[in-house]
Amino acid sequence: MPETDARPARRQSLLFLARFGGLLVGFYFLVASRPVNDAVIVPFTAGIASVSGEVLRGVQEEVTVRGTEIRSGAFAVNIENGCNGVETALLFGSAVLAFPADWRRRLLGLLAGFAAIQALNLVRVVSLFLIGLHRPALFNSSHTVIWQSVVVLFGVFLFLVWAARQQRRRGKAAGRSSEPGS
Amino acid sequence: MLDARAALRLVLGFLAAVGIWLAFSFPYERALASGAESLLRLFEHPSVTRLEAARGEFRVDRRDFPPGSARPGLPAADLHFNFVMLGALFALAPRPARGANVARFLIASAALSIVHVLALIFQIESVYARELGDWSAAHYGAFARNFWAAGFHFYQIAGRFAAPFALWWALGREPARTDREERAGRLRRGRRRSRRD
Repeated sequence: MPETDARPARRQSLLFLARFGGLLVGFYFLVASRPVNDAVIVPFTAGIASVSGEVLRGVQEEVTVRGTEIRSGAFAVNIENGCNGVETALLFGSAVLAFPADWRRRLLGLLAGFAAIQALNLVRVVSLFLIGLHRPALFNSSHTVIWQSVVVLFGVFLFLVWAARQQRRRGKAAGRSSEPGS
Repeated sequence: MLDARAALRLVLGFLAAVGIWLAFSFPYERALASGAESLLRLFEHPSVTRLEAARGEFRVDRRDFPPGSARPGLPAADLHFNFVMLGALFALAPRPARGANVARFLIASAALSIVHVLALIFQIESVYARELGDWSAAHYGAFARNFWAAGFHFYQIAGRFAAPFALWWALGREPARTDREERAGRLRRGRRRSRRD
């Protein structure tokens, strides 16, 4: 790419990173504040525990759910921040909002992405509970390395797919406006 | 271009990175402990912190801890497993094994190591500031306590996932092409092929 073309792309890329970093720090302080944590994050996490409990009962596991904790006779997990998909949603949301696109598409991207991330996170919680119950030796590595990375990479991949679509759309619009007579 | 092949490269890159991470975790933890210890001691008066990488955790020791007291152990994998994400993201490139991509990956890995050292320092200072009872209260004020604790909490919740993404975005990403660029690329490839035939 000629240097003259590369410079604006580099600048845009750095601007994106600056916006992304700023939004991430802002969202972090929002979700880490006690009122938001108590009024939104904890009930939301309890909702995840409740839905996961229903799914586990659906696969014939006898579990009880209390708040954010899922318990069976032999094993229990407490879903904490970092396991509720909120961290991936923060990353995804910051990236979508930092990327140049119109607000309607951003909103659609945020809603679809959040739903997809939470669906995968539900699979993560249920599978981790089953691993902890039936293969406890594998629980730590599955919890920390495998599932955390998979959910975050999924969020990043969703963002990249969404961003590529926005970029193609912009390219098409620019092509139309540069056509003769437009 | 993000297609099924890119998703496959991401999965294969993830598996390869997990393999590398498992193989080199312990020597890497020793290097991290040594780096963080040197930096911590640089700003300590007197220099008393000793860090040791035991299997799976960083053990924190201080010369002024009472001899019989328990030494804090900090889980190590939580701090640096995000290397796996960096590896997977760099595998998204159409030719991941190309020299330039590998070189950028190595630079990004070095930058991520610096992030790990800083995160470990924040974690240790957060333990010193909040978890050692009267000693913490005597040596750390309210601002210092919040600074170290919030810094490490930010790393746990957002920073450890954002760091590999930001490094890859800055160093490794190939910008998505517009339809017009895609068509031009296909046309060029077609012309080259027909010239060869």
